[in-house]
Amino acid sequence: MSAEKKSIYPDKPELQFENKRKFTNKREPLVDRENRKTVGQPTVENPRMSCLNVNVYYGDKQAIHDVTLDIGRNEVIAMIGPSGCGKSTFLRCLNRMNDTIDFCRLTGTILLDGKNIYDKDVDVVPLRAQVGMVFQKPNPFPKSIYENVAYGPKIHGLVQNRAETDEIVETSLRKAGLWEEVKDRLNQPGTSLSGGQQQRLCIARTIAVGPEVILMDEPCSALDPIATARIEDLIDELRENFSIAIVTHSMQQASRVSQRTAYFHLGDLIEVGSTDQVFLNPLHQLTEDYVTGRFG
Amino acid sequence: MSETSNIDIVKKGLGKRYRAEKRFRIYGICAIASSLIFLAFLFISIGSNGYTAFQQTFIRLTVHFDPEILGDTTNRESIASANFPSIVKQSLSMMFPEVTSRSDKRLLNALISSGASYNVRDIVIENPNCIGKTMQVWVPADDDVDMLIKGHINREAQEGERRLNDKQLGWIEQLEKDGNLKKRFNMTFFTAGDSREPELAGIWGAVSGSFFTMIVTLVLSFPIGVAAAIYLEEFAKKNRWTDIIEVNINNLAAVPSIVFGLLGLAVFLNFFGMPRSAPLVGGLVMTLMTLPVIIIASRAALKSVPPSIREAALGVGASQVQMVFHHVLPLALPGMLTGAIIGMARALGETAPLLMIGMVAFIVDIPSGFTDPSTALPVQIFLWADSPERGFLEKTSAAIMVLLTFLIAMNALAVILRKKFEKRW
Repeated sequence: MSAEKKSIYPDKPELQFENKRKFTNKREPLVDRENRKTVGQPTVENPRMSCLNVNVYYGDKQAIHDVTLDIGRNEVIAMIGPSGCGKSTFLRCLNRMNDTIDFCRLTGTILLDGKNIYDKDVDVVPLRAQVGMVFQKPNPFPKSIYENVAYGPKIHGLVQNRAETDEIVETSLRKAGLWEEVKDRLNQPGTSLSGGQQQRLCIARTIAVGPEVILMDEPCSALDPIATARIEDLIDELRENFSIAIVTHSMQQASRVSQRTAYFHLGDLIEVGSTDQVFLNPLHQLTEDYVTGRFG
Repeated sequence: MSETSNIDIVKKGLGKRYRAEKRFRIYGICAIASSLIFLAFLFISIGSNGYTAFQQTFIRLTVHFDPEILGDTTNRESIASANFPSIVKQSLSMMFPEVTSRSDKRLLNALISSGASYNVRDIVIENPNCIGKTMQVWVPADDDVDMLIKGHINREAQEGERRLNDKQLGWIEQLEKDGNLKKRFNMTFFTAGDSREPELAGIWGAVSGSFFTMIVTLVLSFPIGVAAAIYLEEFAKKNRWTDIIEVNINNLAAVPSIVFGLLGLAVFLNFFGMPRSAPLVGGLVMTLMTLPVIIIASRAALKSVPPSIREAALGVGASQVQMVFHHVLPLALPGMLTGAIIGMARALGETAPLLMIGMVAFIVDIPSGFTDPSTALPVQIFLWADSPERGFLEKTSAAIMVLLTFLIAMNALAVILRKKFEKRW
């Protein structure tokens, strides 16, 4: 297999420069931290968000080491890696959810449409309206389905009256592929839905605010395969209107839904590239070990 | 040589394990049984002492409202000074015409409560047309007669060893024979204030005093406690200062209540010059005492709200305040209410701090506001328990029953509220 890969790489001139050294190290059992410079293509043209040299610390412990990564427009970027590698932490930095943790500290810049979201004059409330988030465990509010979706637009003043609210609730639920299932019981509690429906309700709630970027933190880890398939289809549809960053433990899911994939390992961004390339021709030893199932 | 397999070792140890389990169950059942026995003993002793207080002995008098004895009864002031005691005495001596000597008459009059003349007066106030007519009136008997009828005074005892002498016993027997002496429901106990006479004493004054005190406590401690808890739990930065505050709140919850009473005496009465014996001051002291309890309970309730709800709210762009008031508070409110009600129940049963601020005074009038002198239920129990008259013994137990009823009702309310508003997620 490695013989095949060796024959492939010289054909890819854009990868040659950076990876020659790595390539020779490929079979070494452990890569030193010095050798953990990100390989692949962390930047894209005209990105929606771009992170430059991001370091995150929990107290004294450094959780993210010098990550540089772009999130393009209308693309799904998957973040994979073993548990505790910092991919969720990194995702939560993108809409400053880590602000709620007192001892969490961040250096570096994260630009959203060219503006650093960690600038002092940036307010997290509108930021979170621009960068929405879907969590691992479906967490609808213990209120009705209707209120769950209407809550975001209401607090942001996006709707003025009942008719507008009705409209935004319907369009959001339609986009999330949930409308047909719940249109007759909008007043029932959101918690009465099944797990997959709850997660789609959470997605509807997120897109009701009209964000530019949607962050998804293992959105299918609590769901069965059928519900997962529905969410994955939904993610694919949502790509037309939003940039999506998804953290996932399932490599199959990453390969199914994403255009680009980033591999994290112990707080380092090891490799970024097109999903096909990362899964079929990983440049880094650690990536290959992970995607081929040698560890993780 | 047979090899002992693992399963044999496991089986050998099983008996020991089950025995330990059984032993522990027996300990638990013993603990519960003994506490239930003590509780039952408490309730039985209070109930058996107190149930008689809900009945009272009354004597039927045939009262002739003689305008000559009463004097002027045309308006309220003159009625107040009219000679009702004479009328009561007159109707008694009409009933027992054979009693003529002065000392015997005094003994006879002692059978009737000193409050009887007020009952007669109330009839006149209610119905002024009765002047000059003759009516049958039930008036309360003296507490000694009451005790005799309820069996607390032994009729067979030597004359010198009981509070009613042979002559009085004879009169009482005659009254009983004629159907002029009867036990009836004791309304006075629920409508009157305190009194030196057991048959006239009631708990209504203490209940209203407790009610006003609790209103002040609730109005002050619940909003302040909940606001403090929300700020400390949701908004304050976790640093050394909040640690110090948290430790101090926990310490305050454990401070003996008498210390709060002394504080109230020093600060509210002496420094701010507030009225003595007033429910307002009692409520303030109780507020100080209840606040830490409410803060601790409210913080626990806030902590128990799952973080996923907070994340969900923040994730759609709610501000901190919106997150707390739209999502966290509604979920934490049942727990907060429970804490508040349990704190209030504790305050309702608290005596010591009220002693310090003068709510232990003997107050006959029923308080009608927050600054009227008054007493509280537990203090009333304390006062009655201290009184030498036999009649107060059953009043004490009955007042304890009333207090326990309130406490149980409040705790039940806490449970019901929690069940009703608790949302599952």
